[in-house]
Amino acid sequence: MSVQKMTTLAFFTTLSLAIFAIESAIPPLVPIPGIKLGLANIITLILLAHFTFRDALWVLLARILLSTLLFGQALSLLYSLAGGIFSLLVMAFVMRLLRKKTLFLTGAMGGLAHNTGQLLTALVITATPGVLSYLPFLIPGGILTGLFTGLCAGFLGKYLSPHL
Amino acid sequence: MKTKPTKNAVIITAFLLLAALASLLFLLLPVAEDAPYTADIYQNGELLMSIPLQETAETYSFTVEGENHCVNVVQVCPGSIGIVSADCPDKLCVGQGFIRDSRLPITCLPNRLVIQLRPSSDSEAPSDLPDAITY
Repeated sequence: MSVQKMTTLAFFTTLSLAIFAIESAIPPLVPIPGIKLGLANIITLILLAHFTFRDALWVLLARILLSTLLFGQALSLLYSLAGGIFSLLVMAFVMRLLRKKTLFLTGAMGGLAHNTGQLLTALVITATPGVLSYLPFLIPGGILTGLFTGLCAGFLGKYLSPHL
Repeated sequence: MKTKPTKNAVIITAFLLLAALASLLFLLLPVAEDAPYTADIYQNGELLMSIPLQETAETYSFTVEGENHCVNVVQVCPGSIGIVSADCPDKLCVGQGFIRDSRLPITCLPNRLVIQLRPSSDSEAPSDLPDAITY
C-alpha cells in the first residue's frame, strides 16, 4: 500500500468516523431498534464506486472498531460488524450488476442487507424468535435510509477530486 | 450490452418494491383485538417470568438486571406492559412505550431483554422449556 493510498484511506476513515459521531448525537428517529440513517454508509458507497472492494472493507472495519472504542459498548461491535459486512458484500455485488450506475439502488439494497444482518444477529444473541416481528419495520426502514445515503453518495461522487 | 445494467436495475427496483410491499401488507394484517394477553419476559432467550396482564389490577413496577450492569425498570399496568427506564445509551426500549398486543415485542438489546405478549389462551410460553418433567 502506497503512502498516498494509506493517507487517502485514513482520510476516508476519519470522515466516516466524524459522520458517525455526528449521527449518534441525533436522537433516534423512530423508537425501533436498528432504524437510523446510517450516514457513514455514504463513505462505504463512495469507496466501493470509486476505489476497490478491499479499500471499502478496510475503511469499514477501521471505522467500526474505532467507533466502538470511542462511543459504543462491546455488544454493539457485533451488531455493527454483522450489519456492515453483510451490507458491504451485498452492495459490492449489486454495484457490479449495475456497473456503478444508479448508486441509490445499491444504497437501498445495502440498507436492506444491513438491517437484515443486524436482525439476524439480534435473533442469535437474544435467542428469541419474537424479534423477527421487527422485520416488517426494518425492511422499509433500511430501503428508505439506504436510498438517501445512496443519493448522497451519488451526488458527492461528482465532486470527488480526481487526484485522490 | 448496453441494456444489461438497465435490466438489472429494473429487477432490483422490483425486488425492493416487493420487499417493501410485503412488509406493509404484513403490518396492515389485523391482529386479534382485546384478547387477554400474558407478557413473557425473556432474558438471553430464557423465560424469566410470565405475567397475565388481565389479572393485573394495579400498576406496579420491578427491576430486571442484566449482565452488562444494564438495568431495566419494567412497569405492568392492567392490560399493558412497558419499560419505563433503562441505563442503556439509546433507551429505545423506553421509547417503544407500552404494548397491548402481540404485534411487536419490546426489545432492549444491551440487556438482551425481550418482552413479548401472547394471548393468555395459549397456555404455554413458546420456548424451549419442557412441557413436563418426570422423575
